[in-house]
Amino acid sequence: MTPLLETRGLGRAFGALQAVADVSLAVQPGELRAVIGPNGAGKTTLFHLVSGLLAPTSGRVLFRGDDVTALAAPARCRRGISRTFQITSIFPELSVLENARVAVQLKAGGNFRLVGGRGVLDASARRARDSLGSFGLLDRADALASTLPHGDQRLLEIAMAVAQEPALLLLDEPTQGLSPEDTAATVAVIRRVARERQLTIVLVEHDMDVVFDLADRISVLHFGELIAEGTPSEIRANAAVQTAYLGGLD
Amino acid sequence: MTRSRVLGLAALVALVVMPWVLARHQLSLLTDLLIFGLFAMSLDLIMGYTGMVSFGHAAYFGLGAYASALVLLDFAQPVPVALLAGALLAGVVALPVGWFSTRATGIYFAMLTLAFAQLLYTVAYKWRDVTGGSDGIAGVPKTALFWGGPGLASPQAFYFLVAACVVLSLVLSLAVVGSPFGRALQAIRENERRFTSLGRDPRPFKLVVFVLAAVFAGLAGALFAPFRGFASPEVMFWVFSGQGLMMVIIGGIGTLVGPILGAMVFILIQEVLSSYTEHWMIFTGAVFVLIVIFLPGGLVGTARRLGARG
Repeated sequence: MTPLLETRGLGRAFGALQAVADVSLAVQPGELRAVIGPNGAGKTTLFHLVSGLLAPTSGRVLFRGDDVTALAAPARCRRGISRTFQITSIFPELSVLENARVAVQLKAGGNFRLVGGRGVLDASARRARDSLGSFGLLDRADALASTLPHGDQRLLEIAMAVAQEPALLLLDEPTQGLSPEDTAATVAVIRRVARERQLTIVLVEHDMDVVFDLADRISVLHFGELIAEGTPSEIRANAAVQTAYLGGLD
Repeated sequence: MTRSRVLGLAALVALVVMPWVLARHQLSLLTDLLIFGLFAMSLDLIMGYTGMVSFGHAAYFGLGAYASALVLLDFAQPVPVALLAGALLAGVVALPVGWFSTRATGIYFAMLTLAFAQLLYTVAYKWRDVTGGSDGIAGVPKTALFWGGPGLASPQAFYFLVAACVVLSLVLSLAVVGSPFGRALQAIRENERRFTSLGRDPRPFKLVVFVLAAVFAGLAGALFAPFRGFASPEVMFWVFSGQGLMMVIIGGIGTLVGPILGAMVFILIQEVLSSYTEHWMIFTGAVFVLIVIFLPGGLVGTARRLGARG
């Protein structure tokens, strides 16, 4: 089976610093893949390379078997890669519904309707409501996004990406800054939505409980290099990972 | 009927009856206020809805004024032809300026628009054969409404022309900011990086709204030239661009109606105080500071907040 996402020898240097080096990985359709690694391991850089916010200094990115390395972030999103950010990135002074609706509209089209465009607005609002419903945010649809509590803002950002009905969803530390209760709730929502919508997800995560709870497979980054890959139990048993990362937490 | 519809209808009725209520010089002042209101409203499209602060918006008002003056004086065409020419020239010049300027964001965008505006100002100042240099173009006539049609020389006739242009521009702009395109602009204003990661390059959106704002500013300038009877480099100077920003903030950024009111307040203060003191700008500045500190959101933003509460 062609992997949904594949990176081949992907690397990115910032001057002398090799943030990501020679990373080759393949994510199958329907998989929930976690990327873990200590601070500065290059996880977020890898996300930027896959979503197109950064250009690689070496290697290639393939999506559905097509080379998308040369495509900028907007074009990759339209092909089916949606993402969230480590630091919550929403439209603060727009309503919750409008946040998700704009996300749908930007991908679906009709963006240059300067007058009218009722059909575009209504169709995108329907899909937006559908996604907000999956994340339990529908009752706050008319509130300004900036007035939501932090945990709901993080859910909203995921709901915006999911509303785009992507083939691949990239989540950059979805539980960042959440209380243990909110973390558990967020993990439950992600698992449910992933199953309902049959999403392929790659997530970067710091919280090891979250990772071992959610992921089908785990890739471990260390100083920009991929040092291990496997199922959660394989990773738990991996000696190299123990030294590089997990051991540091014990 | 919603509250904003009632207010809009009341404002429309007020505009229609004004010629029978106001004295001749008052009507003339109101015409002036409406022209500057249109200018400020056009600036709000890029500033309030897209988050692009332009320091060179006066250039497009000036281009509209010059194009209109030349069409009326040298070709003796009806006023609507001059309006079309003014709006068109402003839009055409805004296209390359916007293409370059929208490559930058924030203060760099502001500085680029300022640089281009000062460049255009210099052209107007130096190109004597066409623009009349520092003297500008004087004696611009208020020609007819159409070929062989009624003249617009009477204050009432020209007032109605201006009022119609402003109302139509406002209605059109309100439609634009509520459209899919206008909603996208507001998303750009809120978070450009998120916008990009959701699948679109923001630059084409910024370019289109930049040109649109220039077209409305050009229309305002094209009305200004026949109304005042002249076009001169001052209306392209950066000071006027700065005053436009003040008008938008006084009235209420991102409300379209607010900047029209803001322009009226700004010009009225200037009009009233300048007959008493040449230092009227001190008072304009003081009012501006007080509004920014005590009425965030400007006049209309504050009114809406109070309305929502009450």
